[in-house]
Amino acid sequence: MDHFPTNWGRPRNELYDQYNTFPLHHRPANAQNAFADGVQRTQQPIVTGTSVLAIQYQDGIMMAADNLASYGSLARFKDIQRLQPVGTRTIVGASGDMSDFQYIQHILDELTTEEFTYGDGHDLGPAEVHEYLARVMYARRSKINPLWNALLVGGVENGKPFLAYVDLLGTTYSARSLATGYGAHIAIPLLRTAVDNASQLLTEEEARTLLTDCMRVLFYRDARSLDKYQIATVTSAGVSVSDQLKLDTKWDFAEGIRGYGSQTQ
Amino acid sequence: MNTFAERFSVSGSAAEIRRAKEVIGEDDDFTGVMWGSAGGFGNLSKGVPTFSVPSVPDPTDFLRLHTDDHADPSCKIKIKHGTTTLAFRFQGGVIVAVDSRATAGSYVASGTVKKVIEINPYLLGTMAGGAADCQYWETYLGIECRLHELRNRERISVAAASKYLSNLVYSYKGMGLSMGTMICGWDKTGPAIFYVDSDGTRLKGDLFSVGSGSTFAYGVLDQGYRWDLTDEEAQELGRRSIYAAGHRDAFSGNTINLYHVKQDGWKFIGNYDVSEMHYNGPGGTGGYGYGVRVEGRTSANPAS
Amino acid sequence: MPDGSYAHPQQRQFNPYTENGGTILAIAGADFTVIAGDTRQSEGYSIQTRYAPKVFRLTDRAVLAVNGFAADGNMFVKTVKQRLEWYRHAHAKDMPLRAIARLIQTMLYARRFFPYYVYNILGGIEEDGSGAVYSFDPVGSYEREACRAAGAAQSLVQPFLDNQIYFRNQTPAPGTSHPTHLPLPDVLAIVIDSFTSATERHIEVGDGLEMYVVLAKGRSTQELASIRGAQELTPKEGGDRIFVIRRELKKD
Repeated sequence: MDHFPTNWGRPRNELYDQYNTFPLHHRPANAQNAFADGVQRTQQPIVTGTSVLAIQYQDGIMMAADNLASYGSLARFKDIQRLQPVGTRTIVGASGDMSDFQYIQHILDELTTEEFTYGDGHDLGPAEVHEYLARVMYARRSKINPLWNALLVGGVENGKPFLAYVDLLGTTYSARSLATGYGAHIAIPLLRTAVDNASQLLTEEEARTLLTDCMRVLFYRDARSLDKYQIATVTSAGVSVSDQLKLDTKWDFAEGIRGYGSQTQ
Repeated sequence: MNTFAERFSVSGSAAEIRRAKEVIGEDDDFTGVMWGSAGGFGNLSKGVPTFSVPSVPDPTDFLRLHTDDHADPSCKIKIKHGTTTLAFRFQGGVIVAVDSRATAGSYVASGTVKKVIEINPYLLGTMAGGAADCQYWETYLGIECRLHELRNRERISVAAASKYLSNLVYSYKGMGLSMGTMICGWDKTGPAIFYVDSDGTRLKGDLFSVGSGSTFAYGVLDQGYRWDLTDEEAQELGRRSIYAAGHRDAFSGNTINLYHVKQDGWKFIGNYDVSEMHYNGPGGTGGYGYGVRVEGRTSANPAS
Repeated sequence: MPDGSYAHPQQRQFNPYTENGGTILAIAGADFTVIAGDTRQSEGYSIQTRYAPKVFRLTDRAVLAVNGFAADGNMFVKTVKQRLEWYRHAHAKDMPLRAIARLIQTMLYARRFFPYYVYNILGGIEEDGSGAVYSFDPVGSYEREACRAAGAAQSLVQPFLDNQIYFRNQTPAPGTSHPTHLPLPDVLAIVIDSFTSATERHIEVGDGLEMYVVLAKGRSTQELASIRGAQELTPKEGGDRIFVIRRELKKD
């Protein structure tokens, strides 16, 4: 029996400390920070999509994502749709690995088809789709074989808006405004100010302007983003995904910037 | 229910559940009994415990990476640890004494842990190492001991019970279990103690102490131990030994739990606060502490 | 594979765990128990949502609080609830609290080699009508206690509870003694103070506070009448009763 409590509960590593010769506080550690390191080192997301944004507004849910699928730093595919309607009142937006997203689209398609074939008058709403995805994502992380995505699920059920998040670890949460990836850092403060802190829900016009502004801010700073994007809405009337939109951007301010590189004057 | 056709059909409710399980990846294969009387059982509903293991090349490495204590503070899953325990045999039976501190890293996770596990009225187990490992497997041992009684119409011997446990933990060797326990009891052969640990070691003996404070406990225990101790002397020795460990070992302390096993089963003697022992002692008539013994003494006024 | 081989090579660096902050606590009284948790869910320095419950009602007399990795916690609560439902089908009654505690131990220990990164605190009313708190480590070691804090701010809150509930390092005035159990209003005040203070000093704690109060059968609810916004969750009278009380915490 090893009498040092420091060593208890850990599988022994006879490799480097066969006789417990290390003093108590100088046991070799796994890594500098096993937790943080583990999070950073990715499995293999190859073709990736960046942020997805979504908010609750007057008529339901509005979601936005750009049309880019990157291959590392290469802007590889510029007309990829990352907003996927599921059933009649749900929209799923995906960031992360695009091949994993295609697999998710595939299983959601199978799911809705199967549900349809029963012909029992039931179909899946946003809450059901989100629960299903959460189970799938959690099951895959538990097999240490994750689907490398962060997904937003939005929709309207019985007149009530639904908006929730699920990611590769199976972590879920919901709020009135959500964003994945860079959006969670750059767009969320803007979204929360306009949505969560507002006394009343935004109109469709205001919501569209807000998401467009956020997409623009992201395009200015997120190097893996594109100025071509789509906006989806889910209202009690159903799901609709817009055609490809283009951000109007202004870069003329760059003229006035001084102090970088050789441009010192 | 489980007709051949149903098991292999591609439509119907059974097939639907099967497909859902494939995607959702539920690894627990629930049997019919789970819906019935075994509904409240945890991983024991199949009769033998089942465990899920991460699908990585080296599950042991995985466990080492994520579960740890202050050797690597970045590991978040801290498992509670027990620390000083002792047991000895003497003419009046077996004395079992333990402290009550559980640490997770350097945090005192609890000061009220029951480190003596009451397996049945004639068997006690002690807890050192992983708290959950000891609690779980010694409870499981209790189940097996009861089954032994039902099958053989007599109580299990301490030797057999401890061997059951040591064979059990040996089958998990290298997986990361951590327990150092003493199985104490009274059987046909009289009082008996067996030391069992997660390496698979099983030793019969008169006197053991286990845990980070064991060296301190042994110091007191060895100098005071005799076979013909009276019951009171033996209890005091156990108490005093754990006090010494609680006083000198940072991972031990808070309170002492004292048990005495006799022919008619074990008896709980008492719970004693270590600081109370330091200042006032068990009867309130004089503490164990050094400061108390030298109070008022100087070189000009030495104790006689 | 049991023989040590693998169906296909799996060489990955993927961390299946994360930490979602927050704090939970439970305090047992003579004939009631309070189980509380904040509602912030975070990862690193980002607040994911300001309302993600960590405290869940299991039966009319049992409430479970979970803290650590949120996905593990939610999934664990789901499976516990599923087991309790199966038990109800088999036995036509709710599982007693001490049995739920043992069930949770075996369920956690089933994952001994791939642990749930979850700290559980179970609170409720025992069959004898007394308030009880059971606390667990991630792999299932447990004990019954009078109070317990767990999670991000446990090292801030637990010492405060030790002092206020167990009266640690407090000497009673001559001729008096410390009470063994505190009355409900005092306990609620201590819970609220614990969380407002933890919110001040820990970045992962805040936004909202949810307190579940479990009252033993036949106990007067009078003390709750004066508490703002106490809402009953149990439908039937004449059994144990569960109330929930919500409070705002600072959101910065």
